[in-house]
Amino acid sequence: MNSSGSVSGGCLPLAFLPEGTEGIVLEVQGGQGVTRHLEDMGFSSHARVKVLKSCPPGAMLVMVKDSRIALGRGMAMKILVKNIEE
Amino acid sequence: MIRAALIGNPNVGKTEIFNRLTGLSQKVGNFPGVTVEKKAGMLVHRGREIEVVDLPGAYSLTAHAVDELVASDYIVLERPDVIVDIVDGINLERNLYLTLLLLEMDANLVVALNRWDMVAARGMEIDIEKLSELLGCPVVPTVAITGCGLEDLKDSIVDAAGQKRAKGQGAALNYGDDIEQLINKVEDVIKECTALNGRYPERWLAIKMLEGDERVMEQTRAILSSSQLADILSIIEAEEAAIK
Amino acid sequence: MSEYAENLSSALAQRRYERIASIVDAAVKKGRGEIFTLTDMLDQVFLNKHLGIPIFLTVLWTMFQFAFAVSEPFVVIIEKIFEMLGAWSGQAISDPHLASFVSLGIFGGLGSVLVFIPPIFGLFLALSVLEDSGYMARAAFVMDRFMYRLGLHGRSFIPLMIGFGCNVPAIMATRSMDSEKDRMITMLINPLISCSARLPVYVLIAGALFGAAYAGTAIFAVYALGIVLAVATALIFRRTLFRGEPSPFVLELPPYAVPDASSSILHMWSRGRMFLKKAGTIIFGMTIIVWFLSTHPWEETSGGQVIAESYIAWIGHAIEPVFQPFGWDWMAAVALLFGLVAKEVVVGTYGVLLGAEEAGLGEALVSQELFTPLTGFAFMAFVLIYVPCVATIGAIAKETNSWRWPAFALVYQTALAFIVSGVIIAAGRLVGLS
Repeated sequence: MNSSGSVSGGCLPLAFLPEGTEGIVLEVQGGQGVTRHLEDMGFSSHARVKVLKSCPPGAMLVMVKDSRIALGRGMAMKILVKNIEE
Repeated sequence: MIRAALIGNPNVGKTEIFNRLTGLSQKVGNFPGVTVEKKAGMLVHRGREIEVVDLPGAYSLTAHAVDELVASDYIVLERPDVIVDIVDGINLERNLYLTLLLLEMDANLVVALNRWDMVAARGMEIDIEKLSELLGCPVVPTVAITGCGLEDLKDSIVDAAGQKRAKGQGAALNYGDDIEQLINKVEDVIKECTALNGRYPERWLAIKMLEGDERVMEQTRAILSSSQLADILSIIEAEEAAIK
Repeated sequence: MSEYAENLSSALAQRRYERIASIVDAAVKKGRGEIFTLTDMLDQVFLNKHLGIPIFLTVLWTMFQFAFAVSEPFVVIIEKIFEMLGAWSGQAISDPHLASFVSLGIFGGLGSVLVFIPPIFGLFLALSVLEDSGYMARAAFVMDRFMYRLGLHGRSFIPLMIGFGCNVPAIMATRSMDSEKDRMITMLINPLISCSARLPVYVLIAGALFGAAYAGTAIFAVYALGIVLAVATALIFRRTLFRGEPSPFVLELPPYAVPDASSSILHMWSRGRMFLKKAGTIIFGMTIIVWFLSTHPWEETSGGQVIAESYIAWIGHAIEPVFQPFGWDWMAAVALLFGLVAKEVVVGTYGVLLGAEEAGLGEALVSQELFTPLTGFAFMAFVLIYVPCVATIGAIAKETNSWRWPAFALVYQTALAFIVSGVIIAAGRLVGLS
């Protein structure tokens, strides 16, 4: 897995997706509890995620499965996504 | 008296619906042993008395979050007659996750499809009959903030209470051959254990064990014999590679 | 075992979502697709990088104004009613002992509980409205970055802010926090946020000792001290008692909605009712005890007129030695004891002890040389920190379902009060103040 890959077509943590872009969830890392929680909130494999707001180092706001979810940076680092061209 | 419980994702309008159903009769307390608030109230419909308990909002029913644990425990241990799952019409994909889990627990489910007005406003069309057929339980569109659909919901609750659900009815979610085989194997071991028999739905128990749900593991550890437990563990380990 | 289960569980979740996707496909026809909704528009403003926090602070200020200003007239009415009831019963009942019990004990006690209702209900109403409208989640989002650095959770900002008005609803407001640890920390540091009940004490002492020019600064200093201590204590608790990973910040921002009036009112009522039942009985009980201690022995105190001869004065003298290093006398000790019930009572107590009306209290304090600026400031700090008032203790007991935590709060706060006052006095003496 290319973790620090190029933006387009590569896979990267959600935390690095710029505002306004979309991605598809590839994998959720982390302990069982965290993973389940994120999956339950909608970050499951193949789910589409759109970044609504991203102002590091604060939380980021994304749209996933029709709801707006705010995520701390730490959590956003655990979600690996594949950037898709808009 | 009919015992009903309300459940659903946070922010779907569950509180609204609870308030409209129970009004001033609601009392607030705590679920035993935890600081999670428990609200309960009464409602009379078509001559039947209905006790409504408001379970904490949950996205799923894992052992990790206190709220979800409380909700899960209540459903499994208290066995309410009817469970009303409040689903956000404009956010079906995530909301239905909980619905599937509830159906898996053999819950006597009625789905309240809330925010029906927003569904229309967005130009979405939801085929209620089809949805109800696919899920295997009644679906009632509601608009909690205006109270629209609430009478139908009350009707559904009374009707559902009157029909005992056949076991295994419902979405009967097929997880795919590989996982189904696994579930069956674990179920077989569980069925052998007379102490567990009939206490919980076997399929649900099997699935929980496959998920490694801590709570269930803890409780079954006490009940299953060590050989049964070992059997199950080895089934899981052996199949792990196949899944990957 | 769990390692395998993790992957199995993901696989199961995966299949579930696939099934859901097929159900949704079959039963739902998506509409116009993503539209820029009202929610998005409002979020552009409320979550704006630069406007977000100022807007939040404005909303908070408005909430306070609403709760405390709007409830003020009701508070006055309630106070007046109980004053009248007290006076009436004092005269109507012939037996002086019973009269005292009824007018001071019962009506006085009841009055001190019911006086909390308007602001508490007002605050809860405002809170419900904010929550139901969907704005609360935005506030948590906006404040999260800031709070994280302080070792706190974004969601603790609101309860802490409410604490500036009254700690009781602030503690009840911590229910919205999902992490037990963060919730406990917020509850325990809450009493350090200077509530409105303490203000009369500061105004009295600062006004008398610092003069018009510096009184405001002194008061501000005490508030700031409270905030600094709250933050420091939170950090310490995080490292010691409540270790663990800071709970992950994942929060759903619901679409904005106009809150339903009856729903919000119901919400407010069920919360407020609980407060009345539990915390109310505790406060009431305490005031009866205080009444008893201050009016007995009956003969010596001439039916409660001469407090100097009462049990509580005896207790005051007994503990006076503890406070002597700080330069405070037995009256201060008595006042602090009474302050346990509700901090405003410190002022009232001095009024009774010095036999002066509230207006002349300041001069009385100065003329009798009860405090110097240094000891006075240390006293203000002590009042800020020592023990949560009885109502707050009741609230903590209720929210944590045990007496362990209120007891802990009592102990740690008293200890902290002594330490901080001690440091202030010591530092002052070092610099040459008296």
